[in-house]
Amino acid sequence: MAELTWEKTPETPKNDLKQKRSQGERLKFLVGGLLILGAVAYLIFSSTVSGARYFVMVDDIVGNTEFVDQNIRLTGAVIGDTIDYDAPTGSLSFTVANIPQEYDDLAEILHFAANDADATRLEVVMDNETMPDLLQHEAQAILTGRMGDDGKFYATQLNLKCPTRFEEHTPGMLDSEMG
Amino acid sequence: MLAELGLAALTLSFFASLYAVLASVYGEVRSSNAWVLSGRNAALATFPLILVSTGALLIALIVEDYQIAYVWSVSNPTTPLFYRITALWGSQKGSLLFWNCLMSLFAFGAILFNWKSDRRLMPYTIAFMMGSTAFFIGLSLFIENPFARYWIDTSTGEAFEALLIPASAAAPSATRLAETAQGLNPLLRHFGMIIHPPMLYLGFVGFVVPYAFAMAALASGDLSTNWIKATRRWSLVSWLFLSLGLILGGRWAYDVLGWGGYWGWDPVENAAFLPWLVGTAFIHSVMIQQKRGMLKVWNMVLVLTTFSAVIFGTFATRSGVIESVHSFARSSIGFPMLLFWAGSTGIGAILLVWRWRRGELQDEHQFASVFSRESLFVLNNVIFMALTIAVFWGSFGAPITSELFLGTEITLGSEYFMRVTPPLFAALYILMGIAPLSAWTATSVNRMSKSLIIPVILTGISVALISFFLHVSAWSIFAYSIVLLAGWVAIYETYRGASARVRGRGENWFKATTKLFSRNQRRYGGYIVHLGVTIIGIGVIGSTMFQYETRRTINLGETITVQDYRLSYDDLEAGITEDGRQIIRTSLTLYGDNGVLHTLTPRQDRYTSPQMNMMIAGAHSTIGRDFYMLVSEVRPEEGVATFVIYINPLVNLVWWGGIILIIGTVIAVYPKEVVPAHVRQASRVAPSERVGATS
Repeated sequence: MAELTWEKTPETPKNDLKQKRSQGERLKFLVGGLLILGAVAYLIFSSTVSGARYFVMVDDIVGNTEFVDQNIRLTGAVIGDTIDYDAPTGSLSFTVANIPQEYDDLAEILHFAANDADATRLEVVMDNETMPDLLQHEAQAILTGRMGDDGKFYATQLNLKCPTRFEEHTPGMLDSEMG
Repeated sequence: MLAELGLAALTLSFFASLYAVLASVYGEVRSSNAWVLSGRNAALATFPLILVSTGALLIALIVEDYQIAYVWSVSNPTTPLFYRITALWGSQKGSLLFWNCLMSLFAFGAILFNWKSDRRLMPYTIAFMMGSTAFFIGLSLFIENPFARYWIDTSTGEAFEALLIPASAAAPSATRLAETAQGLNPLLRHFGMIIHPPMLYLGFVGFVVPYAFAMAALASGDLSTNWIKATRRWSLVSWLFLSLGLILGGRWAYDVLGWGGYWGWDPVENAAFLPWLVGTAFIHSVMIQQKRGMLKVWNMVLVLTTFSAVIFGTFATRSGVIESVHSFARSSIGFPMLLFWAGSTGIGAILLVWRWRRGELQDEHQFASVFSRESLFVLNNVIFMALTIAVFWGSFGAPITSELFLGTEITLGSEYFMRVTPPLFAALYILMGIAPLSAWTATSVNRMSKSLIIPVILTGISVALISFFLHVSAWSIFAYSIVLLAGWVAIYETYRGASARVRGRGENWFKATTKLFSRNQRRYGGYIVHLGVTIIGIGVIGSTMFQYETRRTINLGETITVQDYRLSYDDLEAGITEDGRQIIRTSLTLYGDNGVLHTLTPRQDRYTSPQMNMMIAGAHSTIGRDFYMLVSEVRPEEGVATFVIYINPLVNLVWWGGIILIIGTVIAVYPKEVVPAHVRQASRVAPSERVGATS
């Protein structure tokens, strides 16, 4: 009886070629993936550097020369009496009062800040602006722009929080009148 | 009575959903069919209970039950019936209850439709769906309860809110309540805002179903494509509503906010955009798992990230933690929501890592070629995820990181987004143009180049036409080209499919096209979606790169020229409407080369309750451009008014593209054929029934 020996079949050149091709594809995926990741990371990094703005409170920048000519985003409570708008030129100015960074009730803190004579105030100037619907006393202004060396804030973008959206009114105004 | 009914139903729904979680998990772990069925029944009961609760609040709004504090805060006697109904989601408490109603509706539907076909996955699916529902019902019940009523303390005379009838308190005078009621926020009195929140909520809550099925697959060990088959339609339906919600939100901003734009890269807008981006990556990626058994881990990561983005978006929108133009008061639901976000994401991640380490999520095939359909789909996913990371970083990552590590908050404005997103969107459009022409496993460059010839020629002709009729720049020509190529490829591929049927089967063109769509809804529905996205892209390029803005002060009777239009200021009217608005309306005639085009009536509405002014735009809309104007100031005594005028090229294509996108998604989602229930039942036997599970 002939003796049978079992040996592992050596890889054919075809299989070898297939494996090499597969390794080549894997390398392509790896290099391509790294290039894409690098490009995306660079894009995000460079856009972050050019678009970064400090988010500050009025207290932080008034009288602080460190922020002059810096890109800044700030928030404050609008003081209604100071709103001055010239429709033909679109020139808008108003004053915002400092609100603290931490608070529980936005409506309450805006009311307090806008009516507090001791709160730090900052004059805001804007050009070519349409009078915003929501610009009113005790609104919260979120402004983007630059701090001028004359102590005024030159805003390029103004967002205002809608004062009533999702805010629950207290029943205080109903007190004793409803009994 | 209505408050008690609503509160009782809400309380019962909370316990029903909790019981559904416990019974389903216990039944699955102990292989007890009776417990699983009991859990299912409790889960099914949750939706009707929340429906009763929501119905009670809705009726309270309609019948003007102002003793309920929520009704008092969002409506008043002058609020029209239509807005009374929509006031249901006009503020935090009502919208959260409505959210619960929709989430339990999705869970109810998923249980009804998938119970028999996906019996093995259902116990854990119910547990995850009802766990999420229980959390949100808990928020409504314990933190933001819409059924609190006003009472007067008889000893002090002070008004206060309480859920149950307090001792020594009396109900306030109904007349006085009606007199002082607040009314709906004027910004919400717009068609876009009426249906934008429900659509967005449907999109958000709908993703609970794919998430729950994926988690059930991980928990139960059924890691086949069953969970993907079960959730394909649910994912598409949720994506459809999310898309609709985003488009309507844009339309509302364009019509109501008066700045001539529709997308401001505001953090809250971005919070809704993030789940859309990841969800879009997911609905592309699952196709590879279904076709080739690949990307099993990646698909789990995507479905988990989509749901995580939904919860994060909800947290960002409702907690008030994020500084945004959208006004959301700081709410005490923020911390619980953050915990839920971390918990639901963490549980999913742990389950995924556990299965992955056990080697149960091995792909069945490897990528054979860089130039294949699956590779291009992966690239599409990479770009979507890069966009997601870029948007998340700009909206939330940078402010939070800088606050933590630099001690000062650094924010990134719209300049960041306008710089970082266009290259990524361009990459997506290029992929949209190439991927449909590629084949599975490997594609030859020659074959693809040949397929591209006709779409490239059509793109060239289209860009030439755009350049002839509209103002363009080098960058815009590049942008129009890649966007149009994606659209022409979608049309050309559809044409090729139909033409093959005409030639091969002798069908007429209409029959061939309808058959093509009905036989392969996902593919050809997807092409319609691509076409919609192309049209949106053209609208975005035109309206973003070439918007014209000017401010003009005009005397009554005067005619001015604005670009190639003439505009005459004809009339000014003032009056008070039935709902108490003071209206100042201007009337202007817009002329083109061939005479009168339109009468524009931009106006100012002054609301008294709550006090707010709104500028309502007047617009002359054509496919080519919008002539959009606002009245900024009126001085009747001088007969002068100042207007802000925008000319927005191609802006209407954004809305038309949105409609086409929705049509395409509906085609992809539409059920192929309805198999009678008894036939389905006969062909499927639940695994637990096969092994004779004990009850």
